[in-house]
Amino acid sequence: MADKGSDPLALWQQMIGEMEKGFNAFANKTMTSPEFSKVMNQAGGVTAGAQKQFGELIEKYLINMNLPSRAQMVGMAERLQTIEAQLNEIKAMLGRMSAEAGAPTGGLGGAPRPPRSKRPPAPQQQSPSGEQK
Amino acid sequence: MNAPAGLDLASMPERIQAEVQRAIQRGIKGVEYFSSSGPTLGSTPKDVLAARGTMNLYHYRPLADEVYRVPVLIVMATTNRGYILDMVPGQSFIEFLLKRGYDVYMLDWTAPRPEEKGLRMEDYVLDFIPDCIRRVQQDSGEQDVTVIGYCFGGVLSLLYGSIFNDGPMKNLICFTTPIDFHEMKLFANFSDRRYFDVDRLVDAVGNVPPEMILTSFEMLRPASRAASQIQLWENIWNDEYVKSYRMFDRWATDTLPLAGEYFRTITKDLMWDNKLFNGTMTVGGQKADITNIKVPILHAVAEHDHIVPYDAAKHLIPRVASSDKEEVMLKGGHVSLVAGANAVRRLWPKLDNWLAGRSI
Repeated sequence: MADKGSDPLALWQQMIGEMEKGFNAFANKTMTSPEFSKVMNQAGGVTAGAQKQFGELIEKYLINMNLPSRAQMVGMAERLQTIEAQLNEIKAMLGRMSAEAGAPTGGLGGAPRPPRSKRPPAPQQQSPSGEQK
Repeated sequence: MNAPAGLDLASMPERIQAEVQRAIQRGIKGVEYFSSSGPTLGSTPKDVLAARGTMNLYHYRPLADEVYRVPVLIVMATTNRGYILDMVPGQSFIEFLLKRGYDVYMLDWTAPRPEEKGLRMEDYVLDFIPDCIRRVQQDSGEQDVTVIGYCFGGVLSLLYGSIFNDGPMKNLICFTTPIDFHEMKLFANFSDRRYFDVDRLVDAVGNVPPEMILTSFEMLRPASRAASQIQLWENIWNDEYVKSYRMFDRWATDTLPLAGEYFRTITKDLMWDNKLFNGTMTVGGQKADITNIKVPILHAVAEHDHIVPYDAAKHLIPRVASSDKEEVMLKGGHVSLVAGANAVRRLWPKLDNWLAGRSI
């Protein structure tokens, strides 16, 4: 079998890894400069403003086309979420009532909850440490 | 002509055959990759105990016959989805905890809705977390609760623990939690107050879009996405590699927007004024100084964390007032510390060893 030094595939993978590290290091160095922050934030500010205006324009277009806008869809999703939340509240309330009545507690498919009596394993049975530096 | 040193010409036909096989497999699996949806994530059975706007509280169904007395509440980072801790069976931190006998709850987040742009830091620290703690107490019937915070979930847990320092939090575990935000040098430069007008941004967009959050994370390692896609193509014949790639890629790109006012506070109080590090942080007018924390605390940090470097995280353990405190540095990065094959061998057993005796 060829060793790693002469295996073209291993060399290719090594090259990709080195290029990644090198480019990341170079980019990180560039990105710590105040000039980078200035340019990035100027560009970001323009983009955010343009996106907002574009979104408003699209929304007007959809209304004119008699199609639901994103805001309307979000509104419907919110109503659904509210209904879901209320159902969950009712479910949790029923579970509590059921528990108070002595029935198996809710949320576990009718199964009783396990007792809260577990003790940690004896020290000699534990592995010394999970740390593997 | 002689072969280059180390090149075994006798094995070349086998190598070529293997590479041809892989090339064929790449073609077949490549089509499969684009036509399938990937593994189902976050499938450990759970019940939704509460859902209120961006806040979701889950209770995972026990997988042990007997559980520890003290329940565990995991507080997820507000930028990402909680299923990073519940990937697939065998690689799920939640499943691991359940099988080891913990009663597990999770405070997870959904995207804040447009009208939630006004959510402030105090809504998270003084309302959502205390509300979830109360619900955990009510559901479990126990007063004590162990809190585990991941990344910014750790910051929120620390702020909560600083203010509610007389209980009911019994133990606190933080994963990769920053204290000195000025040591997150690239983020600090991206948000340089001379050039980054956070007020203008928040006023313009409301909630900070997820694309912006994702871009800022990806800019920390700008070549890594392209490199990982090359590696994916090379390994696309390998089902396990592809499964793992899809899990992590889906999670990493499934970034959440951040509520505008909350983002404004993070930028001004933490990124600009470094108030958590300086001990001047307040939430809703209440002082939130981590030196007030007295409960047993474990802080797990990653040796190669490019998002929260060690210099940003190292101040937590020395500063808290707890007498029972430990920092553990493990191999791995910001995500591989908590999820994936390395976490199964490193962090999870360490956490279990630490927490078991403190959960009775």
